[in-house]
Amino acid sequence: MAIFTIDDVEKTFKNGDVSEKILKGVDLDLNEGEITALVGPSGSGKSTILTIAAGLQKATGGQVLFEGKDMTQMSQEEIRKIRSSEFGFVFQSSHLVPFLTVEDQLLLMLDVAETKLNKKQQKQEVLKVLDLVGMSHRKDAYPSSLSGGEKQRVAIARAIIHQPKMLFADEPTASLDSKRSKEVMEIIRNLTKTLQITTLMVTHDEEMLPYADRIVTMKDGLID
Amino acid sequence: MQMAWKEVKKSKMKFLILGSIIFLVSFLTFIISGLANGLSEDNAALIKNVPNGKFYLNEDAKQTYSLSKIDVDQQDNLLADYNGATAMSIQMGFVNDAEDKQHSVAFVTSTDSELFPNVKDNEVVLDASLKDEGIKVGDILTNNQFSGEFKVVGFAEKQTYSHAPVAFISMKNYQEIYRVMEMQTVFIPGSDSPDSIKGLESFTNKEFLNTIPSYGAEQMSLNMIIWFLVVISGMLFAIFFYMMNVQKIGLYGILKAIGVKTSSLFSMMWYQMLLITVVSLVLSVGLSQLFSMVAPAGMPFSLPIETTLLLSVVFLVIGFIGATISGFQIKKVEPLQAIQQGEM
Repeated sequence: MAIFTIDDVEKTFKNGDVSEKILKGVDLDLNEGEITALVGPSGSGKSTILTIAAGLQKATGGQVLFEGKDMTQMSQEEIRKIRSSEFGFVFQSSHLVPFLTVEDQLLLMLDVAETKLNKKQQKQEVLKVLDLVGMSHRKDAYPSSLSGGEKQRVAIARAIIHQPKMLFADEPTASLDSKRSKEVMEIIRNLTKTLQITTLMVTHDEEMLPYADRIVTMKDGLID
Repeated sequence: MQMAWKEVKKSKMKFLILGSIIFLVSFLTFIISGLANGLSEDNAALIKNVPNGKFYLNEDAKQTYSLSKIDVDQQDNLLADYNGATAMSIQMGFVNDAEDKQHSVAFVTSTDSELFPNVKDNEVVLDASLKDEGIKVGDILTNNQFSGEFKVVGFAEKQTYSHAPVAFISMKNYQEIYRVMEMQTVFIPGSDSPDSIKGLESFTNKEFLNTIPSYGAEQMSLNMIIWFLVVISGMLFAIFFYMMNVQKIGLYGILKAIGVKTSSLFSMMWYQMLLITVVSLVLSVGLSQLFSMVAPAGMPFSLPIETTLLLSVVFLVIGFIGATISGFQIKKVEPLQAIQQGEM
């Protein structure tokens, strides 16, 4: 059953008098608990559709329906609330907050998502999620002392700690070597399956495709 | 708040640098304010010590008290008509001590009044600062234009005028020294003092201070330095937080992407600004008050705690404005832009 629907979404970028249509009417349904991998050549529009779906930029036309509600008609504040409580993000770089420890990164996300857990429960939840990504032994470490793979594990933990319904992952393994990439993808797959999180992932790496339930190819701003 | 505090803890050096700049600028401002206040006291304590009311000078005096002469009949009428009214005169001069050492003074005389010491003929009450020059009660002082001698009968605290200690003498002695029968000004205390009296020009206490040569120019220069320093500190806040915000645009973008409210990011910045400013101000207020206690005796320095607290509030407001202006960048940050920038 589709929890997320992208319906005839268009995106045109304007640069002075020149306008370029990046998305030419994309249709895509994302089913609950499913991992969908978006692949395609550079410039095909896959990152653009991911950021529009995640509410990080607006579409020029079409509808983006999350649980039946059209996000293109929502205010910035409504979209922010959805991003903080219902969505999780993993980016190409980990984008951790440099002055927070691993534990604090996750506690921050629980605060932002306005979960109803008290401080003690929050700490327990953080330890549980850090265990899932194999990082509980580094809970007091700052990002500067973590390796690339460790940072990305923490980023994944931050993305799912508030139990979002959707996970958006933009090239989550691009900055990692092959071994670490597979570890990270296994973690994403295990977690999303355990927690029934619907995932939309953009990747260039064909080795990551076996971890997806569905592969969607984009070309010239359209689903191929 | 926690995030703001954690950043301060992790980036101690960065915040220590800003804090020390604010501390130094505010300390310098307090010291200059103390000097301005001290000079003002030194220049005009005599006038500042009188209650609010109005001074009256002769209309022909061109707003210069030393040129003013109040008609004796008019003076008598005013003193009779207004309760607490006092006629007074001030002239710069000097006295010689027993060792023939000259001391500059401002001779002040007045009709009977509660505002000034009542001295008999051939007696003088001096500002207490002359004690430091070795003058004691019972000493005999002379003046070249005065046929008699002055016996020191007491000292008055903080009575200076035009950077000279005041010497209160009787009207008769004053008239002999300066060969003048008329008094220069009449002071009528209270808010019901008339705005205009025929042939006289009225001045509030503050306006009368400006008739003292150099008072206005001196105070204006020092106050300008103080306000420049206050504005500079506001600009320092704006520039420093601007630079910090530029460095953190990526971070702000990511925080916005994961759903942190823009208002929370502003709160974080304000908390840091408040923390740095309060700590810096507490240190500089403490140090400037300490300086006020140990300042050399000859240095005109007066820094009431009310002045430092008022300036501290101004620093906080200016810091808040500076930080907020620099924070407009936060509002403009697009999450997408930050994600595309890569690692922070």
